[in-house]
Amino acid sequence: MEAQIVKPTQATTRFQDFWGVFRKNYMGLVGLMMLVSAILVAIFAPVLSPYDPSSTFDVTTSDIYNPPSSTHWLGTDDAGQDVLTNFIFGARVSLTIGFFAAFISLAIGGVFGIIAGFYGGRTEEVLMRFTDIMLVIPDLPLMMVLIALTKPSIINIIIVIGALYWTTTARVVRSQTLAVKSRKFVLRARAIGAGKGHIIRHHILPLVLPILVVQAVLVVSSAVLAESTLSFLGLGDPTALSWGQMLNYAFGRGAMSTGAWWALVVPGFGIVWVVLGLTLLGQGLEQVLNPRLDTHHLMPSRPPVKSEAAKRSDEETLLEVKNLSINYVNDGHAPARAVENISFTLKKGELIGLVGESGCGKTTLMLGLLRLLPSAGQIVNGQVYFKDQELTALSETELNKVRWRGVSIVFQGAMNALNPVRTVGDQIAEAIIQHLPDFDSKNIPGRVTDLLELVGIAAEHKDQYPHQYSGGMRQRAMIAMALACNPEVVIADEPTTALDVMIQAQILELLDELRKKLGLAIVFVTHDLGVVAEMCDKVLVMYGGVTAEYAEVDTIYNMPRHPYTQELLKAFPDLTKPKKKLSSIPGYPPRLDALPSGCRFAPRCPAAFDRCRTEQPALHELAGDTHIVSCHLVEASK
Amino acid sequence: MKRWRYLLNKISWALFTIIFVIILNFFLFRILPGDPARAGVRDPRLTKENIEAIRVRYGLDKPIVNCFESLNPIKLGSCTVNPLDTQFFIYMGNLLQGDMMISFHTNRPVTEILSERLGNTILLIGAGQILAIIFGVLFGMFSAWKARTAIDYGSLTISLVAWSLPTFWLGVILLFWGSNHGMPIAGMSTPGMSSYPLLSQWGDIAKHMLLPTLTYTIVYMGEYMLIMRSSLLDVLSEDYILTAKAKGLSVFQILKDHAITNAMLPLVTIIAINLGFTVGGVIQIETVFSWPGLGMTTVEALNRRDFPVLQGAFLLIAVAVILSNLLADLAYSYLDPRVKTE
Repeated sequence: MEAQIVKPTQATTRFQDFWGVFRKNYMGLVGLMMLVSAILVAIFAPVLSPYDPSSTFDVTTSDIYNPPSSTHWLGTDDAGQDVLTNFIFGARVSLTIGFFAAFISLAIGGVFGIIAGFYGGRTEEVLMRFTDIMLVIPDLPLMMVLIALTKPSIINIIIVIGALYWTTTARVVRSQTLAVKSRKFVLRARAIGAGKGHIIRHHILPLVLPILVVQAVLVVSSAVLAESTLSFLGLGDPTALSWGQMLNYAFGRGAMSTGAWWALVVPGFGIVWVVLGLTLLGQGLEQVLNPRLDTHHLMPSRPPVKSEAAKRSDEETLLEVKNLSINYVNDGHAPARAVENISFTLKKGELIGLVGESGCGKTTLMLGLLRLLPSAGQIVNGQVYFKDQELTALSETELNKVRWRGVSIVFQGAMNALNPVRTVGDQIAEAIIQHLPDFDSKNIPGRVTDLLELVGIAAEHKDQYPHQYSGGMRQRAMIAMALACNPEVVIADEPTTALDVMIQAQILELLDELRKKLGLAIVFVTHDLGVVAEMCDKVLVMYGGVTAEYAEVDTIYNMPRHPYTQELLKAFPDLTKPKKKLSSIPGYPPRLDALPSGCRFAPRCPAAFDRCRTEQPALHELAGDTHIVSCHLVEASK
Repeated sequence: MKRWRYLLNKISWALFTIIFVIILNFFLFRILPGDPARAGVRDPRLTKENIEAIRVRYGLDKPIVNCFESLNPIKLGSCTVNPLDTQFFIYMGNLLQGDMMISFHTNRPVTEILSERLGNTILLIGAGQILAIIFGVLFGMFSAWKARTAIDYGSLTISLVAWSLPTFWLGVILLFWGSNHGMPIAGMSTPGMSSYPLLSQWGDIAKHMLLPTLTYTIVYMGEYMLIMRSSLLDVLSEDYILTAKAKGLSVFQILKDHAITNAMLPLVTIIAINLGFTVGGVIQIETVFSWPGLGMTTVEALNRRDFPVLQGAFLLIAVAVILSNLLADLAYSYLDPRVKTE
């Protein structure tokens, strides 16, 4: 009983979900309305048309190609008939042929696709090869030959169009079937011995259906176009006056020379209306079923909000970040505060570690330093200084001179960070050409080789493509590229994740060596505290986009004050106390669009008290300004 | 080495497809109803002897293939005839020598007729295709770069409308407009032009080409624009574009040196696949503008039931499309180093 009640509600909600999204897709909605209006016209043709299409007995020669008038709103055609009436009844013929032909090709394509995808092996091989051949044979000439050799009747046209337009459907359905086939519930159904027919009907078909609907829309529009083309070329059913046939008669019987534009424009308008409607509907459905973000790295970023400049530190700093806050604009919702009020300084030869769990704003902060944020990201407060330049105030052109020349970045994972269609050497040379115009172009290949050798890549790999490199080599090539223009600061975003331990160690050693050799300053983004302890001078611990604790590395390890830092260290194995139990912090970092109102760490903090849940703690300076902690407990003990 | 295997694979597949098309083409005209000889020469005054003479002339008196005298209606025959004396092998043999029978209508060899017309079609497709690609790629690039702005939505709408236009109808409308504005309305040259100097002859052809090429460009530009837009959007969200931006390259440099080549890769394949559909469009355009190319030849042959010409034209078109697909595969392997060296 209960199950019966639940089932229909589920179906309606699924449809309602779909409709809820589709409703907001103007393209699809407009297309749907265009299509529905055409179908309504076809259905109610006898009611809508001013004349009876079959009555021709009172036509005289003076009725031929009359321009639009009050008696014939859209004029008359070559037979003296009312164009509007023929147009309305033409919708019936064109749409009927379109829908029936599409039905046939969807059936063929669907069956081929499901069989090929489900059974695989030899069956699939043969079916898909056949599909490939049919895809290559030009379809209009083949349709013309087929119809010329048979008889041009509505049935023949439907069969021929249906028999040729199934190839794309077969391909799309096959790949969807393949994807569905390996899903858990299908595997389970097979494991409990469900028959193949049962699985196809109950598990595969429901998931292939949405794709078939999109295909149907596209195939109907192709079929309508194909019918009108065939009719126009004189291969249509002479007794059925479709829009294409109307055009054929008008074009072949002097509409051109008599200037009867209405006889040419009106039927074509019908075809365009239906095909455009279907195209828009198809695009809309596609967007709803496979939503994709139309954002990319070249979309103009939002300019930083000007804020009052804070006092800079007196020391000679290379990179100085002052109260930096970054938001992600979220259409119609409150912005996500990804980074809030972060400050740090970096001197020549210094290495700062940026530590925190995934999703705590490390990468956003790093991208924000060079204003490389995605288009939704915006610097809403604070400044970034590189030597005496305020990066947050420069124009894009001025900034481009600092990027890579002054501050370069080694991106996380480097898998796709190199362009796959250009050689590695070429991509390194590009940076040199861009920023060091005085560099003698004869010496560039030598320089590239030197750089690659510096990171342990043999010179013969210079002219290879990224896909010929191993993961570790790519990462090292990325570092070589980052060093190409002798920058003063390198930002390394988790350069060692996804690499094996040996290569990790090599890369870290390399960075440390370069720092000592070249006096490079490095911002090292990581979640590996071991690396931090070994290499860093200073550590910035971030949690949920804010500073948890910022201090010299010794202070962080020996006198951590923030509970989060303390918990992180507990989760990190200490070699001097091998028997100590490792602990992990229960819970997850906060979602940036749903931050807690008080301290962001409060929900997971073992020491949290009432105030932590209501009031965000300020940044407290301890030991001069070398140790910064954001915790109410520190204030209490100060 | 891998590359050679890839090429060999593609070439043998193209050859296989061509053989398939040849066989299909041969049997299609013999399975479907309508005696080729009678359909071609529909004259009630023909006597039985005359028809028999025509059948002998076109080699239609021979069995189609071993064991089958004819396929429509199916009539079994002797299986012991010399295979080389059947229609199928004679057809294949002639084809190998570039001989595709004689036109029912004009009595001229089909090969001669087709080779005369082929160049005109290539001229039209070439000009139209180049323009469509240039404008489609430019609009698509602009649209992707300015994604989600008025420019993007505007060019999207225009492309979708252009895509939905039936080719022949756009041609008819342009022809109608052109005929009222002094444009030539048919053919590819003004009669009597051959006595003029070469340069003005070319100018004349260019003038005749204008509207057909414009039709072609509008119809296919929309599609290329949509493909380029979506391909470029994919590329521009890749990590290496962010790297290029971090390297301090300008937007123009990034588009030129990092995005376009990558975004063009799928376009190359699609342009080639499209050539199959393009042929359909060319048939319509040539019919509307009476452009003396393969498409018009096909339609003429169709209306006259001139089967040798129809058969030959279909074969030529299909083979051309298969070869251009092959060409695209080769170009792809050249453009994408991942194919070249894997």
